[in-house]
Amino acid sequence: MTLFTKIRRALGIDTRQADYTYQQDPRFGNVAASRVADTWIKTTCGYCSVGCGMLVGVKDGKAVAVRGNPDHPVNLGKLCPKGLSEHHILEAPGRAKQPLLRKNGKLVPVSWDEALNALVENFTSVQQRYGKDALGVVGTGQLLTEEFYTLGKLVQLGFGSRNHDGNTTLCMASAVAGYKLSFGSDGPPGSYADMEHADVVILIGANIADNHPILCHRLEKQSTLGQARTLIVVDPRVTKTAMMADLHLPVKPRSDIALINGIAHILIREGLIDRDYIDRHTTGFEDFAAFVKAFTPEHVAAVTGLSEESILRTALLYGNAKAGFIGWTMGVNHSTQGAVTVTAINNLALITGNLGRTGAAPFSITGQCNAMGTRESGFTSSLPGYRKFDNAEDRAELAGLWKIDAGRIPSARGLAYPDIIEAAVSGKIKALWFIATNPAVSFPNYSVLEQALRSVEFLVVQDGFHPTSTSEFAHLVLPAAIWGEKEGTYTNSERRISKVNAIVTPPGEARPDFDIFLDIAARLGVKDELYPGWHTTHDAFQEWQRVSAGRMCDYSPYTWQQIEDQGGVQWGGTSLYRDGVFAHSDGKARLTTVPCLPFSEQPNEEFSLILNTGRTVEHWHTRTKTSQVAMLESMVPNAWLEMNPVDAAALELRPHDRVTVASRRGSVKNLELRITGIVAPGQVFMPFHFPETNSNRVTFGDFDPISREPNFKQCAVRVEKFFLTAHAKRSSAHAVGDPAANQAL
Amino acid sequence: MSLPLHDRALSGSDDALVRMTLESESGSLAAEPATVVATLVPNRQLGPGEQYRFHFDMTKCIGCRSCEIACNEQNGNPADIRWRRIGEIEGGTYPDTQRYYLSMGCNHCLDAECIKGCPVDAYTKDPITGIVLHSADACIGCQYCVWNCPYSVPQFNPERGVVGKCDMCHDRLTDGLEPACVNACPEAAIEIEIVNMLEWRSDYALADSPGMPAAGLTISTTRITVPAANAAAKLERVDTGSIRPEHSHLSLVFMTTLMQAVTGALIVLLLFGRATASLLTTLLIITVISLNVSVFHLGRPAYAWRALKMWRRSWLSREVLLFSLFFLVLAAFTAGTILTALSSATLIQLHAQALQPLQSFVAHSGILQILGPLAALLGVGGILASAYIYLVPARPAWNMAHTPIDFILSMALIGVTLPSALGTLPYFAASPYPIWPVACVAFLWLANQTAKLVRLNRSVSFEHRASATLLNLPDLRAALIATFGLVAAATVLTVIGNLPLACAAAVAGVLLSRYLFFVSVVPLNMALTFTRGGSHV
Repeated sequence: MTLFTKIRRALGIDTRQADYTYQQDPRFGNVAASRVADTWIKTTCGYCSVGCGMLVGVKDGKAVAVRGNPDHPVNLGKLCPKGLSEHHILEAPGRAKQPLLRKNGKLVPVSWDEALNALVENFTSVQQRYGKDALGVVGTGQLLTEEFYTLGKLVQLGFGSRNHDGNTTLCMASAVAGYKLSFGSDGPPGSYADMEHADVVILIGANIADNHPILCHRLEKQSTLGQARTLIVVDPRVTKTAMMADLHLPVKPRSDIALINGIAHILIREGLIDRDYIDRHTTGFEDFAAFVKAFTPEHVAAVTGLSEESILRTALLYGNAKAGFIGWTMGVNHSTQGAVTVTAINNLALITGNLGRTGAAPFSITGQCNAMGTRESGFTSSLPGYRKFDNAEDRAELAGLWKIDAGRIPSARGLAYPDIIEAAVSGKIKALWFIATNPAVSFPNYSVLEQALRSVEFLVVQDGFHPTSTSEFAHLVLPAAIWGEKEGTYTNSERRISKVNAIVTPPGEARPDFDIFLDIAARLGVKDELYPGWHTTHDAFQEWQRVSAGRMCDYSPYTWQQIEDQGGVQWGGTSLYRDGVFAHSDGKARLTTVPCLPFSEQPNEEFSLILNTGRTVEHWHTRTKTSQVAMLESMVPNAWLEMNPVDAAALELRPHDRVTVASRRGSVKNLELRITGIVAPGQVFMPFHFPETNSNRVTFGDFDPISREPNFKQCAVRVEKFFLTAHAKRSSAHAVGDPAANQAL
Repeated sequence: MSLPLHDRALSGSDDALVRMTLESESGSLAAEPATVVATLVPNRQLGPGEQYRFHFDMTKCIGCRSCEIACNEQNGNPADIRWRRIGEIEGGTYPDTQRYYLSMGCNHCLDAECIKGCPVDAYTKDPITGIVLHSADACIGCQYCVWNCPYSVPQFNPERGVVGKCDMCHDRLTDGLEPACVNACPEAAIEIEIVNMLEWRSDYALADSPGMPAAGLTISTTRITVPAANAAAKLERVDTGSIRPEHSHLSLVFMTTLMQAVTGALIVLLLFGRATASLLTTLLIITVISLNVSVFHLGRPAYAWRALKMWRRSWLSREVLLFSLFFLVLAAFTAGTILTALSSATLIQLHAQALQPLQSFVAHSGILQILGPLAALLGVGGILASAYIYLVPARPAWNMAHTPIDFILSMALIGVTLPSALGTLPYFAASPYPIWPVACVAFLWLANQTAKLVRLNRSVSFEHRASATLLNLPDLRAALIATFGLVAAATVLTVIGNLPLACAAAVAGVLLSRYLFFVSVVPLNMALTFTRGGSHV
């Protein structure tokens, strides 16, 4: 502001009047002039896996507004608050804009040339000295399918390291593993529309009102078939989603398996099973039926804390449903028993035939915008196109497509994400490359992670933002383009391949991840072999189409243009397994026997509370993006800890007290206390988005033996009052206690 | 005015419209966009005696906050200004806990206090739609509407120097398009309805809801669908523990105190017949400073003169008018007093012999005997008008008899200490004033403050108790104790004869007390979220 403007403003001249005028947008009507666009570009939201279609308004090369795409089948014009403000992240001040290389302990700006040479030199040097697998790479569900496909080849075939995984292991690996165990392949069998058609919907550990809000409207009181719909929500917290439910089952933490087995017990007992479907399409029923015999309502009630009546009611509702839908998210996946819990859910669908037909599906609602795309095209936990490492035919087929020697394709997967971190701590992995993920906030048990970051010889962080909690440790920071700056596809939870478009150019010297991968390949001397004639992500898409052709996740029938015009297309159609033929070699699904085990770190006298973690609608993951959107950040600027009034009274804590949450591993200090009936006595909850109060300083690094997914959801903690230092006290003196509780003056 | 949205939506010709509520025609899973079965804005024209209103369905809202973002995007507002806000209410015991959300813009009340109080007529209730409209061009940023609204709806935008508020997206509605919040809500929880104003006035029970101030204060038109009564769960605000001090309005702290000082001192001077030219000039200078300081309370000081406009309706206009007249009369009184004090020789020396007839007129007409008391009367009137500004139901801690009493007693307190303090100066030298009025006034002043504190503490009203709690914050409590100490000290200092210090203590005590008056008020407001994030009201 010039002095003249300042004086004018001080006198009362409305110097900002022009910023507050309205104009007629030809398409969307009267709106603030600053939000009127010249052109609207169709794209898909880059936050969660719902995959909402949106239109981004562009004026003078800048994104000025976002609108839900009214014609998009996923969201019909609606967006959540993150989507509605997504254009702001393209102008965010915290963007990484130039490559930074650590020299003499400091990150200094360098050219791309120097940066990428340093990457290739250091990675190959480490690999020469410690072996190929000394390089660990963790990608992300934030990348385009085309990019993740390209990255897989670069890591596994270019660098020759098997230790490549995605951050998706922190969120849906259990669903992947569970689907594979039950059905022989990954692939969520249903669609969002099933939620509308089902007359019974059970959501287990899925707080969609906070995490996937644009799915909620599909759960109106009536199904599209005109029947009354019953929504059952299984969650230890009274979440926003639980408030939507007709029946909320407040299970004890990690007792979900008992509930699911108990439902199966009742279904079999009451004859509410589809014997024909079981006989024709499954194996293992006799063992299963014998196993769940022990899960009597009485036993299940004791384990879950639910009433026998509500367990019975749930079972009868599901068993009698014309179309029963079971959805789940992280409450199930974030578990040491995540994969088998998924199979337990699948069991219910299989024995009732609630699978492969409209409205009926066991459905994992995914996390990130392109978690699915990376599952399908990734060269991580499986080979691209849902191929198996241990299947020689699959390897040979891929080698043929890629025109390489089949021997170069590993016959077993490398380390999963948590094992990469552990290997870095133990010195087996000497170089790490993180792409668009922020483990310093998102990985459980921070102290181990920090040790890993500090142990490696060369740490590369490639991200759209800098600094992040992780990039501060980096030896090399590569500034990447983000959503809105690159073109390709995302695939959402319901297998819908959606087009993502470039709206603006990346800031500063930031480059699309795809370009970075190709540039590295060129420097490594593998570009012509791995990416012959490639220039754009479309080249990657075309190869991916050939690679996926004939597979379950077949992208070959759809061009980019078709995908965009149709508002996305679902590979495999609306439901998988309509014919009842599963991907196991015998074509049959497996019924599994899943014992209900208590979670590892049970509370004791010293750590008497169970900490649950989760999200809030205003923020996304580790907040690298949403903290940069002023409105979202100001809505929820800090984390809090939810505690039941019973526990608060016992600990003599009052609302808005500052508290410390401590576990055996560390502590989170200065959290705002929310005393509330949202959580059960004995349990506390905090959101995990905040680096400043990082829940992973206390969480337990305990992993599912099958999926390797961390058990973020339960660990034993104690809560104590946090006392501000004198200095901090002054700066927060304006916060006050509850007036109702404070009568004295 | 037509609202063709329904037709346009059904025809499917406009993709900017809501296509939210799904209607299955075939029961198939076809991926084509669904059609609309219900519009969220009225599909008929307003009849006579009708207006638009919001309907908020609490049972549909999932607390996603899309409406808030959509509103700010629609209006280009900065992040900390929310014309639509979300609130949380909670009740019951786990696991039968009940959680609900409020999403509120302006309630476009039938008896809108914002309109009545506005000194510049920036508010109008649109005669066609009933929407309460605010004109940023007319607004001078006095923020009286912010104080008057029981929902804390109008918000001051310091960037512009004016207030702003939800206008139900008036310009979209008149184009047949739904407001931004209505358009954005994924649950169709917000809609625009038509209400018959007369019928609503006789029964507005559907405007009341947990987490909302009583609708009757201004007759909010927003209809709120609340969940079926659950005896076990009394829904309560979750933000009550994070009440923060309000803006201190320092220019008003000084203006009110100084105007009370000047008026009080003038009265005392008149009573003791000591209204000398020099003392009056001093008071006049303080008045000029005070009135100039007050202007900087406005977001747009250059347009302060507009504040006179609505003197028939607005206490703020009346205050400005009375204090302006006070200034003019005091100036005339002072000038006359100076003139009569001048000798003929001085006039000649000043080459102002022409003033001699005027001098003789002033001296002999007795006009000074009228001007003095008139100025005092206008001053007292202005102070009472000041006090009335704060007697607003939306600010419960202000809306007490203690406010006008405090203003008058503060006037008296400084009034009885200022002239005696000035009297100790060589230039103003005068015989001493009696001591007992200081002691009496100080006692009454302290009694009034004490009574107010006791009542705040014991009140059934949340806002009263919250004000008391604010005053119990470490910093504010220290200031509160200091005000009592200072006023008591003024008496002691008067008794021991240190009159300048006594006056300084009285002025400081009143200033500090007035500061606390502004920061410790807790306005009526809708329930906000636990973190109260993003909302500065």
